[in-house]
Amino acid sequence: MRPKLLTGNAAAAWGARLARVDYVPAFPITPQTEIIETLGRWIEGAEMPGRMVTLESEHSMITAAGAAASTGVRVFSATSSQGLLYGMEMIYTVAGWRAPFVLVNVSRGLASPITLEPDHNDVLAARDSGFLQIHCATCQEVLDSVIMAYRIAEDPRVRLPVIVNLDGFYLSFTREPVDIPEPDSVADFLPAYDPESTRFRASSPNSQAVAVLGGAPYSYFRYESHLASLNALGVHTEVAEAFAQQFGRRYEAVEAYRCEDAEIIFLMIGSFATKAKAAVDGLRNAGESVGLARPRLLRPLPTDELARILGGKQAVAVIDQNISMGMGGVLHAELASTLYGKANAPPVLTSFIGGLGGRDISPEEFYEIAAITREAVKSGVTPPPRLLYTEQEYREVQKLQAIAHAERYEVGAE
Amino acid sequence: MAKTPIRRMKDLPSSHLFGSGTPMCAGCGGLESLHQIYEILGPRTVFVNAAGCMTLLAIYPFTPFRGSWLYTAMASAPAGAQGIRDALDILLEQQRMEPAEDLNVVVLTGDGSANGMGLSATSAAMERNLDFLYICYDNEGYGNTGQQFSAATPHGARTATSTGPHGFSGNKKDLFSIWAAHKPAYVATAIGAEPVDLARKIEAAKQLKGPRLIITLAPCPPGWDFDPRDAADIGKLAVKTGIWPLKEYVDGKVVHSKIPHPRLPVEEYLQTQGRFSHLFHPRRDEGLLAEIQDSVDRYWNGITE
Amino acid sequence: MYRIRFHGRGGQGMKTASRVLGTAFFQQGFQVQDAPRYGAERRGAPIFAYVRASRTAINERGVIRHPDLVAIADDSLVSSPAAGVLQGLGPGTTMLINSHDTPEVWRHRLNLDATILIVPVGEEVTDRADLPFAGMVCAAAAARLVGVIGREALAAAIREELGAHGNALADRNIETALHTYDLMQDHAGAVTEGTEISAENYASPQWIDLPLENAGRAAPSIHAAATSTLLKTGLWRTMRPEIDYTHCNRCWWVCSTFCPDSAIRVNEAGLPEIDYDHCKGCLICVAKCPPHAIEAIPEHLAQAREEKAHAAKTPDR
Repeated sequence: MRPKLLTGNAAAAWGARLARVDYVPAFPITPQTEIIETLGRWIEGAEMPGRMVTLESEHSMITAAGAAASTGVRVFSATSSQGLLYGMEMIYTVAGWRAPFVLVNVSRGLASPITLEPDHNDVLAARDSGFLQIHCATCQEVLDSVIMAYRIAEDPRVRLPVIVNLDGFYLSFTREPVDIPEPDSVADFLPAYDPESTRFRASSPNSQAVAVLGGAPYSYFRYESHLASLNALGVHTEVAEAFAQQFGRRYEAVEAYRCEDAEIIFLMIGSFATKAKAAVDGLRNAGESVGLARPRLLRPLPTDELARILGGKQAVAVIDQNISMGMGGVLHAELASTLYGKANAPPVLTSFIGGLGGRDISPEEFYEIAAITREAVKSGVTPPPRLLYTEQEYREVQKLQAIAHAERYEVGAE
Repeated sequence: MAKTPIRRMKDLPSSHLFGSGTPMCAGCGGLESLHQIYEILGPRTVFVNAAGCMTLLAIYPFTPFRGSWLYTAMASAPAGAQGIRDALDILLEQQRMEPAEDLNVVVLTGDGSANGMGLSATSAAMERNLDFLYICYDNEGYGNTGQQFSAATPHGARTATSTGPHGFSGNKKDLFSIWAAHKPAYVATAIGAEPVDLARKIEAAKQLKGPRLIITLAPCPPGWDFDPRDAADIGKLAVKTGIWPLKEYVDGKVVHSKIPHPRLPVEEYLQTQGRFSHLFHPRRDEGLLAEIQDSVDRYWNGITE
Repeated sequence: MYRIRFHGRGGQGMKTASRVLGTAFFQQGFQVQDAPRYGAERRGAPIFAYVRASRTAINERGVIRHPDLVAIADDSLVSSPAAGVLQGLGPGTTMLINSHDTPEVWRHRLNLDATILIVPVGEEVTDRADLPFAGMVCAAAAARLVGVIGREALAAAIREELGAHGNALADRNIETALHTYDLMQDHAGAVTEGTEISAENYASPQWIDLPLENAGRAAPSIHAAATSTLLKTGLWRTMRPEIDYTHCNRCWWVCSTFCPDSAIRVNEAGLPEIDYDHCKGCLICVAKCPPHAIEAIPEHLAQAREEKAHAAKTPDR
């Protein structure tokens, strides 16, 4: 099929459609809503089989998703931001049910203050839940990742649900050329779901998700989920290889762009990483040896692959589109623990926080990040973490504050 | 009331389908009704549970259920029922599952979940006309955490969070009416101490499609502070004094399945339980006793059957 | 890479315009990225959308900061800062304005370095929010200006984007678009691909370290009343209600009560007055006025009349 221009949301819906999902528990939230609207339209118009049910909250939506997956059907759901947080109790809960399904999260910053535009604090709040996480940088990758996610999630060596993440606005509402695979070809790649013993049937009693008493069984069950998550690394490699064979598009756990001979590497996740890619090209044109490493898998974190790509480099500049209050960038900390003690770990690891709440990152800022990091390599002194924030932006905020704090401002006062 | 084959005690099944060995308290009024309910529903069921005392029914690797069970969380058991029911329907429609493999989907929660954080999910399940049975065992407080007051705690009862001289200052939420306002297929109140009434209601609910919801009052020895041996008697008194009316909502009408006659004074029920002892000791709290009796009287005076 | 921004009002088809141009580029073998800017897609309110097109993969994302072409469907938005039409314009930018006025008039008005081209407003309408084909005209003109999109690709793109609404609508749009496309033939290729920002010679971003401020200031709280009145939603208005005081019967303030925007107040003489800074032009007052004393006038005509009156007055000063 000739590629079509699709938004990231439409690409996610196509991924679910081609994966032949049976059940879509849903709840609207910006910027995800177009996904469920699209699936709803297709299901109502009999363009795809399946059933969609709108729940009354994301908490219920994720419960229904896990319960249906536990009954042995293929489930798809989607949410964003506050919705993901509202359902967070169940995100952790259903991951432990070991019933696979795919949840698309369209990243959007978290309250407070409430906002609509993207950063990754929402999806990172689910980081430790047991869900695997795939972070997409293009609309094509969204569609492909949803299909791949089912194969990974349903693999008996994994059996964990997967979050496929895309950024609000920058992908969700942006159209790009997307190749929509042929349904038959997807059916070859992704066979029907076999739930094995994970289902409710009259002939076989099944008490699911029961309580435990004591730390020993608890630790066992929890650690088994961790091992399954780690095991997904190898499964991802296999699935990515099969995907490449079937569709000609190859996805590594970490996308390495112009890294081989690079001295400095940008490290980012999500769609903003393509901006970093453009900056890498710009820097290369200026004679700078810079590359980009983009972990596509965030859980499990491909630590060996990251260590391999980053090993021997002079420096890594981590650009976090998130903030852990009181600590800083989450990826920076994760990368530090990934590299610490490794024989050829890069000596300099700089930390930048940018793109919070959809705040853009300009090419000039990437160039500046490279310059600061190069300077750190030269001096051997790593600069403190830096928020990408300009004097002009602060002045604009001060203007807003002047309005917000105006004394005795009265309606109609002239 | 719908016609069922159960008319007297002798008609009750006694196959003891529900496994013994659970960690529920000795004399648990909730378990008393649940095992009776299970006799009638049978093992072709999947129970979907919200956090509460009965979450501990299944502790790995022990379960009393011969059928299936899924623990969800405190707020979303009806949504779990939705997911299972929808999945079973999809499998049936697409002939991916034999009809013989189908299950009745049953939500099982305490009063804390039913009256509080689970109410939104319950309301929505009714609005979606989900085909499910909801059993709420009502022990009138957050029993599993040591009997703090819940929205189902009766006026004047002493709980771990209403320890003052007048007990709980609020009033028991009228969950029956809230449920009935959604016009589901069936709503009823019941109690394990009235097994024939309970069995007939479960039978009636079993015959219907759509949302069917039953609250069983669950006398709770540790929470209400009485000797476990008195659980069934206290349950009977709850009915005889009229403080726990047995009723059904079906076809848009509320009908009482048992009208206490003569109706005993409510203090005969209250004085059996330590949670009301401050109404009698060190001296009778005539004001509060009259208030409670009055509210029971007003209820029954409004019933014109 | 081509970087093109469309500006207009909610209802004038800006998202469709960006999609048509995006699809047309795509038909011609370009890599494409197009997106509307969501947030305030209210009828009449300023809205914009954008298209990137390149022969190679597009890695740049988000709102276009330095456009090669800015196409404006509604000329009444050009000089309003809130609409952001002029943001990021440089000497290399072409402005395409859907307007009755000439490029000379606009150059004089704006005093800008940019190239200004006019696409004549076809059919005039009462309510500019319904301006027929406003977005389509801009998309078609843009297609011609970039010089790499053929008639067929443009027509096919329109059919693809509007086909779901029926052939008749697509046909009418194609006819209009091709007419505009032909009108712009003298300017074919006038817009060329912009350059990339160099990593050798760039303006430093001027980062600062944010100071710690106390919670009273640093929390998202507004310690002031009705500050929303600073927002001049009158900009959204495409139809203006005007009160004919000879017919107003000074009723108990029907118009002012029904006005959702608190934009009609009653003066000391008991007469209603419309606050045009905030009136969005919903026209509920026109519908509800018992003696029918409020009339709806196209905003652009009302403004033209005001300008004339102002010009006539000025020499007296």
